[in-house]
Amino acid sequence: MNRRQFIYGTALILSTPVSSHAIWPFSRKKAEVQDSDNIRGSIFKGDAPDKQGKWAHEAFLYKKLDNNKVLCGICPHRCLLSPGDRSVCRSKANIDGILYSLSYGNPCTVNVDPIEKKPLFHFKPQTKAFSVAAAGCNFRCLNCQNWEISQAKPGEVRHIELFPEDVVKAALKSGSESIACTYSEPVSFIEYMLDISRIAKEKGLSNLWISNGYINKEPLLELCKYIEGANVNIKSFSDDIYKKLNGGRLEPVLNTFKTMNEKGIHFEMTNLVVPGYTDDGEMVKRMCGWILANLGPGYPLHFLRFFPQYKLDRLAPTPLSTLENFREIAMKEGIHYAYVGNVPNHEGMNTFCHNCNKLLIKRKGYYIPEYNLSENRCKFCNTVIPGVWGKNIKAI
Amino acid sequence: MFNILKRKNESPVLLVVIATGISSVATQLLTIRELLAQFQGNEFVIALILFSWLVQGGIGTFFSQLYIKRGSPSAKFLCFLSLLVASLPALQILLIRELRDVLFIHGSSVGFYHTFAFVFFTTAPYALLIGFVLPYSLFVLRAFRPDYPGTYVYMVDNLGDIAGGAFFSFFLVYFFSPFQSVFISNIFILGATFLLLLNSGVGHIKAIAGVCVALTFLVSGIFLEKESLLPRKGSLAYYKESKYGRIAVHKDKEQFTLVADGVPVFSNQNTSNAEEDIHYPLSQVSATKNILIISAEGGIMEEVEKYHPKSIDYIELDPEVSGALFRFGLLKNIPGLNVINQDGRSYLAHADKIYDAIIINLPEPETYQINRFYTDGFFYLARKRLSPGGVLSFSMEGYDSYLAEPQRQKISSVHKTISRHFTNVLLLPGEKIYFLASQNPVNADIPGLLDKKKIKTDYISNFFYGNLTEERIRNLNELIDRSAPVNTDNYPQLMHIMFSQWFAKFSTSPLVFILLLSTVSIIYLFCIKKEEFVLFSTGCMEMGTEVLVIFAFQIFFGYIYIKIGLIITVFLAGLFPGAWAGNKIANQHNKFSRTSLVISDGILILLTILLILIFFKGGDKIPLSVFLIYGFLVSMTCGFQFPTALKLMGDSNPSVTRLFSADLIGAAAGTLLISVAIIPYFGIIWAAFALIGLKLISMIVMRLSKA
Repeated sequence: MNRRQFIYGTALILSTPVSSHAIWPFSRKKAEVQDSDNIRGSIFKGDAPDKQGKWAHEAFLYKKLDNNKVLCGICPHRCLLSPGDRSVCRSKANIDGILYSLSYGNPCTVNVDPIEKKPLFHFKPQTKAFSVAAAGCNFRCLNCQNWEISQAKPGEVRHIELFPEDVVKAALKSGSESIACTYSEPVSFIEYMLDISRIAKEKGLSNLWISNGYINKEPLLELCKYIEGANVNIKSFSDDIYKKLNGGRLEPVLNTFKTMNEKGIHFEMTNLVVPGYTDDGEMVKRMCGWILANLGPGYPLHFLRFFPQYKLDRLAPTPLSTLENFREIAMKEGIHYAYVGNVPNHEGMNTFCHNCNKLLIKRKGYYIPEYNLSENRCKFCNTVIPGVWGKNIKAI
Repeated sequence: MFNILKRKNESPVLLVVIATGISSVATQLLTIRELLAQFQGNEFVIALILFSWLVQGGIGTFFSQLYIKRGSPSAKFLCFLSLLVASLPALQILLIRELRDVLFIHGSSVGFYHTFAFVFFTTAPYALLIGFVLPYSLFVLRAFRPDYPGTYVYMVDNLGDIAGGAFFSFFLVYFFSPFQSVFISNIFILGATFLLLLNSGVGHIKAIAGVCVALTFLVSGIFLEKESLLPRKGSLAYYKESKYGRIAVHKDKEQFTLVADGVPVFSNQNTSNAEEDIHYPLSQVSATKNILIISAEGGIMEEVEKYHPKSIDYIELDPEVSGALFRFGLLKNIPGLNVINQDGRSYLAHADKIYDAIIINLPEPETYQINRFYTDGFFYLARKRLSPGGVLSFSMEGYDSYLAEPQRQKISSVHKTISRHFTNVLLLPGEKIYFLASQNPVNADIPGLLDKKKIKTDYISNFFYGNLTEERIRNLNELIDRSAPVNTDNYPQLMHIMFSQWFAKFSTSPLVFILLLSTVSIIYLFCIKKEEFVLFSTGCMEMGTEVLVIFAFQIFFGYIYIKIGLIITVFLAGLFPGAWAGNKIANQHNKFSRTSLVISDGILILLTILLILIFFKGGDKIPLSVFLIYGFLVSMTCGFQFPTALKLMGDSNPSVTRLFSADLIGAAAGTLLISVAIIPYFGIIWAAFALIGLKLISMIVMRLSKA
């Protein structure tokens, strides 16, 4: 066989229908494991405002370095900013060697929400949470529900002037029992949140932190002095998926849970079940194993249904049975309180006593038609139910 | 003309040219469908695909001129190129399907620049090749006969284009899957190449082997058809290529999801959306006898049934969609339900029934086709078909906690438009923003209204007051900009707002692209000769008027596939007789070529003025024949200009390639300018004036050059 014959022969073989199946390079399995993408955000070079502006407030916890550079210490990104640079979260900027938070007192959205919407199922049920958010986030989640504010700079959004004292006044006026820093990522406006929390605590309001948990230990410890409840996302139990879908890392989030556990803060965890990414039963088992080993069985875990959102809009919603299955897995593994979320009136929204298995709280949307807790104990077996329970809760 | 096909050496080459035309147009249409199933199906992306294709064709043509300077043309090399032409379409479609998940994160949509890069590079090999082959075929013919007229190749290519367009639009799309269509539309080129191989002295065995290699590529595609469409999760329960696009139903455990052009539209487990779609409007009306639903949401019929209406007319453009919805339980067949497969706007224009509620479930107005349901003209029609207390309802993309600025502008424009026809318009926030419009007052307390009607719901009864607080409803309604522009059929304001929203979502701006394109365009326009400029403007005119005519037709008559297919076909069909006439006149009256170009430019200007008058005076009274005659006349005049310009430039090899390039690049510019730059920002009339302006410049250039 000469060279030419060899080339012809090879071409013929390679192009047969049968071989095309065998050699086709982009088979499904290969695409599934291929996840080298990391969508981590980057610093915005030279994007800082020239002047501090009305809503600039010197940042909490940063280090001044040579040549007017600064190192932000709030989150694991640890942004090293030269003068004129803006942080990954878009909310902080180095102006002449000083790190400023740019979203102090200028929230872009304020609402009064049912606490169950956060979701917080074990924290003062049926109360209202005065919810505040400023622009910015240290993640780049492809499925962000609030991308309009989380992926925007403070100057790019409409905002309301509401300094910490005003927030607390407005919360009290609205009849809310708590103030929730939520929607975008409160870590990016921690200075504002801390000041609100200090005043709110003095006035008898609870402080809630609804977050991705991507924060360093030192600022978290400061925050723990004021917050009473939190809902922190555990977006997946895979560092690769964190990099690919969220632009973050898993380990710092796990550390956040450990710290809050040590500090005795009530928190609930939410896990969004994204088809093709986080809908892996084995991963859920590993996640539950870690929770049990490090935090114990008492913290509620919510499995939320995914809907196509923002940039991740070409995936189907999560099948209900996947959520039900995960709830079962979690409870079998030993988690006492596992819930199904984003599914109207699902049985998995109800709370059952982990000791006697009787129905403690029946939920219909944001209503509670049945409530069987006496203060923080099961009415049937007197077991203490973890959480922060309100007084005089009536079934509606 | 047809004698040329009888010449021994020439006829196999010309057959290859015709077959290349068939392959290229069919492949272009298939590629557009494929890319739209992988990326955002907005007007910008559609224009980008056509733009890339045409520009690459122009570049390929230019390369052929460079290539020919280095060596003499050979029929054997043309055979090799033709076999590549036949082999590449299957590979291109596979690459488009498979590379998307390799290059981008699975399940995510991508922004403008990523889309552009993907489109440009995946279509480049084939589009460049097609651009290269056409002039190269002429060089091969000139190797046999040096004075072979370039116009003949242009005409024969047009024949192939017409055949390919009609073959795909009226036959392949109805009966065959993409890879089957690729196979069938490329069989001709394999046959023609085989003849050319034999004619070029290549042995039978080698010729058969060559054809077999290409054939195996084509066959391989058919085998990989289903596999390349399988979802990452679950299974493919149903798949159908309808004439409107790709319909699939994915099954993941017990959940069925309807996926249209790669986008999950809805699944059978979304009760909240179904409740909102139906109960928000129906809770408002006292009598719910006749209901009109334009396009559906999974699970809505169960909710409609709670009102016991006498009749429900459900309009779905694509029968494949409605068929799949019923087959997989996404829609329930309830008493009184009447399924009508027609364009919703066209139905409303001709219906005489009066409805108590019109409920619309359409996607965002990202294309001109969908924009027609958000215009002044549409709301006027809807109002006419509603009973005095009737309600019109539709939704647009919503938000969780903050209404972003482009979205606010969009909502405001729709609000302003609908408020011209309805006394009361209420907006309800949420995952979707609902518009409820009626001549009667509209009540925002939906759960209260449902209680009165004793209708039970899962989502609304239990979540509404928590999610849609009075404050949230008030905030949204207060955010509406009352000075927003009205969205009309002729001036589709929403389109450019949608573009802004798309760019904002991906934090990008088209500025770099526009600057780059402008720079390249200016350089190009300074480098070309006046005859090339005429053809550049002609390409622009041909594609620009085609976009305008299709756009106008859809406004007046709705999206009627077969008629739009006919319009596209006549826009191709006129080129051939035009070129034939142009060639004849240019040969017989050589000295009048320049004048002919000026006169034909004048005719194009007059035709465009006529188009403006037709739009103003005729509206929906214009018969289809006017659109067809108009398209034919425009393309005939454009076709006429090619041989005339070629005669003026001398019909040499470089002249032919330069004119081919100018025509293609002009067509690319026309597509992009008219559909995404001029119509959305300045409206349809100014788009027509822009084309007139361009042709006036072309006329002046030719006149001055004579002086």
